[in-house]
Amino acid sequence: MTNLSPLTEVAPEVPRSRNRWRGLLPRWSPKLGTGLGLAGAIVLFGLIGPLVTGDPATIRDFGLTPPGGEHLLGTTVTGQDILAQLAHATRGSLQIGLLVGIMATVLSGVFGIVGAYAGGVVDEIFSLFSNVMLVIPGLPLVIVIAGFVPPDQRGTGTISLVLAITGWAAAARVLRAQTLSLRNRDYVAAARVSGEKTWRVICVEILPNLLPILASQFVFAVVLAILSEAGLSFLGLGAANSSTLGTMLYYAQNGFALQRDAWWWFVPPGLIIALFGGALALINFSIDEIINPKLRDRARRARDVVAVETDTAAAEQDAVLTVKNLNVVYQADTPVHAVKDVSLTLRRGEILGLAGESGCGKTTLAYAINRLHRPPAEVTSGSVTFHDRDGEDVDVLALAPEELRAFRWVKLSMVFQGAMNALNPVTPIRAQLQDVLRTHRPGMPASDREKRCAEVLRLVGVDPARLGSFPHELSGGMRQRVMIAMALLLDPQVMIMDEPTTALDVLVQREILNEIKRLRDELSFAVVFITHDLPLLLELSDRIAVMRDGEVVEYADAEEMYLRPQHPYTRELLASFPGLNDDRGALIR
Amino acid sequence: MNYYVRKAAFYLAALWAAVTLNFVIPRMLPGNPVDILMAKLQQRGGSVDPAARQAYETLLGTGGGGSVFSEYVAYLGNLLRGDLGVSVSAFPAKVSDVIADSLPWTVVLVGLATLLSFLLGVGLGALVGWKRGTWLDALVPATTVLSAVPYFWLALILVALLSTGLGWFPLNGGYDVVLDPGWSGEFIGSAIYHGILPALTIVISSVGGWLLGMRNMMVSAMSEDYVLTARAKGLKDSRIMIRYAARNAVLPSVAGFAISLGFVVSGSIVTELVFSYPGIGSKLLQAVQNNDYALMQGIFLVITIAVLGANLVVDLLYGLIDARTRDRSVVS
Repeated sequence: MTNLSPLTEVAPEVPRSRNRWRGLLPRWSPKLGTGLGLAGAIVLFGLIGPLVTGDPATIRDFGLTPPGGEHLLGTTVTGQDILAQLAHATRGSLQIGLLVGIMATVLSGVFGIVGAYAGGVVDEIFSLFSNVMLVIPGLPLVIVIAGFVPPDQRGTGTISLVLAITGWAAAARVLRAQTLSLRNRDYVAAARVSGEKTWRVICVEILPNLLPILASQFVFAVVLAILSEAGLSFLGLGAANSSTLGTMLYYAQNGFALQRDAWWWFVPPGLIIALFGGALALINFSIDEIINPKLRDRARRARDVVAVETDTAAAEQDAVLTVKNLNVVYQADTPVHAVKDVSLTLRRGEILGLAGESGCGKTTLAYAINRLHRPPAEVTSGSVTFHDRDGEDVDVLALAPEELRAFRWVKLSMVFQGAMNALNPVTPIRAQLQDVLRTHRPGMPASDREKRCAEVLRLVGVDPARLGSFPHELSGGMRQRVMIAMALLLDPQVMIMDEPTTALDVLVQREILNEIKRLRDELSFAVVFITHDLPLLLELSDRIAVMRDGEVVEYADAEEMYLRPQHPYTRELLASFPGLNDDRGALIR
Repeated sequence: MNYYVRKAAFYLAALWAAVTLNFVIPRMLPGNPVDILMAKLQQRGGSVDPAARQAYETLLGTGGGGSVFSEYVAYLGNLLRGDLGVSVSAFPAKVSDVIADSLPWTVVLVGLATLLSFLLGVGLGALVGWKRGTWLDALVPATTVLSAVPYFWLALILVALLSTGLGWFPLNGGYDVVLDPGWSGEFIGSAIYHGILPALTIVISSVGGWLLGMRNMMVSAMSEDYVLTARAKGLKDSRIMIRYAARNAVLPSVAGFAISLGFVVSGSIVTELVFSYPGIGSKLLQAVQNNDYALMQGIFLVITIAVLGANLVVDLLYGLIDARTRDRSVVS
């Protein structure tokens, strides 16, 4: 892995589609191909089949002929040609599916989109109505309704209408949730403020964004309608004089096809339903991938480190962590070289600042040190060496998975943005702290675990009574303190802090920073502190590395950098923070 | 408002809607159910006195005549007393007795099968999501295709293969008819033996939905920060998968239980017909075929109440497994 020339310098972000509509088209995949092929074939069969095959109702005197010869799929008990019946029934089922699909989608659109967009009482009522319709089981209701309507008045239209009325609610709920989030987006708000008419905002700004969901719900409604109709007809409650796959199965059942081993009678209709439903489901997978790009197929990463250099870096005096010529590449369609040849040394007990704009590669670097980078990121070359207190050197990039697991948090812990989602939202703080001790100190008695958790909370100034709290019950500052307490649990030698104070207000930020400094002085761990806020680093760190486009452009003592910034980019960064030289600058040290 | 109060209020509203729907449907639709019922009743040798006719009119409407409102009040009063009328197909049994006989069969069969399918689907879904990019991915389209198979057709195929073909399972019924229903070991064993194939049908057809939903949520949860934190903490993979990713990913599956339960109940009604299972689905169809409107309505009501009840239980459980729900509704 030496040839890095084709790599571009763009920041690692998903390239935006130039054309708004292109993003709405499914990406080609074998699943989509199979789905479209199968569905297309069945639709063609329903369209053309009835024209080619003979009259499905013709009665012949040789019933239950097995497939072959003149009758490709055999005959029914009354000698009717199964292939002809199948073609007509497929057409009938598809018609009902399409009709119900359209009606149900329109209904769900009205109740989901309009309700959510209108908001207030309308939304409350529409939403309550959809939810009630959702919990009332559909098919029993359809059966009861069909049971009351005399058979001669049960037309295809009536059945379709009833199926649509009982089948729209789930889709309305999905659409409502999506519309609620859309109507708060900036461009929708802008359109509303500029006085555009409601129907225009819905049609022009909101509908196009809902198209993938509408498409997916439509496909789902068609499948559901075909299935429900088949069930209804199988029970003898379908539309009068209609011919669908369900009625075929009804006659097969009443003609004792099963008992007479006439599989050619009852297998094909069900198979067509199953294949059509399966094909639409495959198409839906591709639509889902548009709605949620995370679901796109991705090959599992075989390794996170490509090449490991065997010569671990010789320890600089007093170093605890040495990063040498580290390269990290996002192996996307156009590979992105996120960290380029970075070399850093962290001394025991020092605070090393890592500064740069978002997208400069500082977080990728920090994660790669602990091998936490996610695919498609790969360490392509370089070395990370941890120099243990007892004199042993650990080649982090060469650790086997189990060794790596044992290394993490014991030697090197991390503090993420606790104000965001770094704490598990559904378990109390206690469980998340104790997890660490359970895993890394398996022999520790429960009472000691509890004691240790309380102790670290006290260290960061949080009442140990908070152990039973859930993350959402704590303020942002408190969550950040809990994150730090968690990082302290095993008394690590290095702590990597990724923007730990970014989401906090200035006063809380100040408290946390003082806390970090105090703890560092007391417990003498080394810190890699990542932030975009260079003035904050000038105040906090011993040394600072400034990163830009994956490279360290300047690496110097904090004071040196403040007084004599060498690289033009550092000067630019310093100048971009106003008031640095007066009130805030005066606070430094 | 308190989470639990809100939930209770919603289910009361849903219950009222179902009860009212039950009252309105026969009055809105064409046909004259009361006349048909009276004719049937006469065939069976029932009393055709005005009292019987009036009872049915309260239930199904008079087709003109009396005040709808007073009928509605009388109908609600009858419901509160548990009086659902007299069944004509099982004359002279009361509707409530017919339902009481068949309901346990369905509740046990559908309940167990649904629980099994949920656990299996969620468990497999978590695994498939976690091991994304491996051969396990093939499970997703495979089970989705299975869930597009009509329940009753799958039941027919299973019967053809496993009962008629291999003779492993009985063709139909809920128990061996030579036995007396009761709490004897022999009877329960026979009931379980007869229930395996219907349950298998329900599980095979419904597991794909749970699996797909769980797998998709799992994939989303795995890119959350708390999973990254868990990895940084050096926790074992199994622990991260279960306690961090799956624990969060399962929430929407539980919240969406209502939607899926409706499908399962609908599907199992038709499945019961294939197996001639002595449950409430078979009774509903029998009622429809015999124009036994009172029984039809009673069964619809009971199915709806059962589904509402199951959803209420799941909703209350949801409050337990996600603390945020309870607190959020306290604020709003």
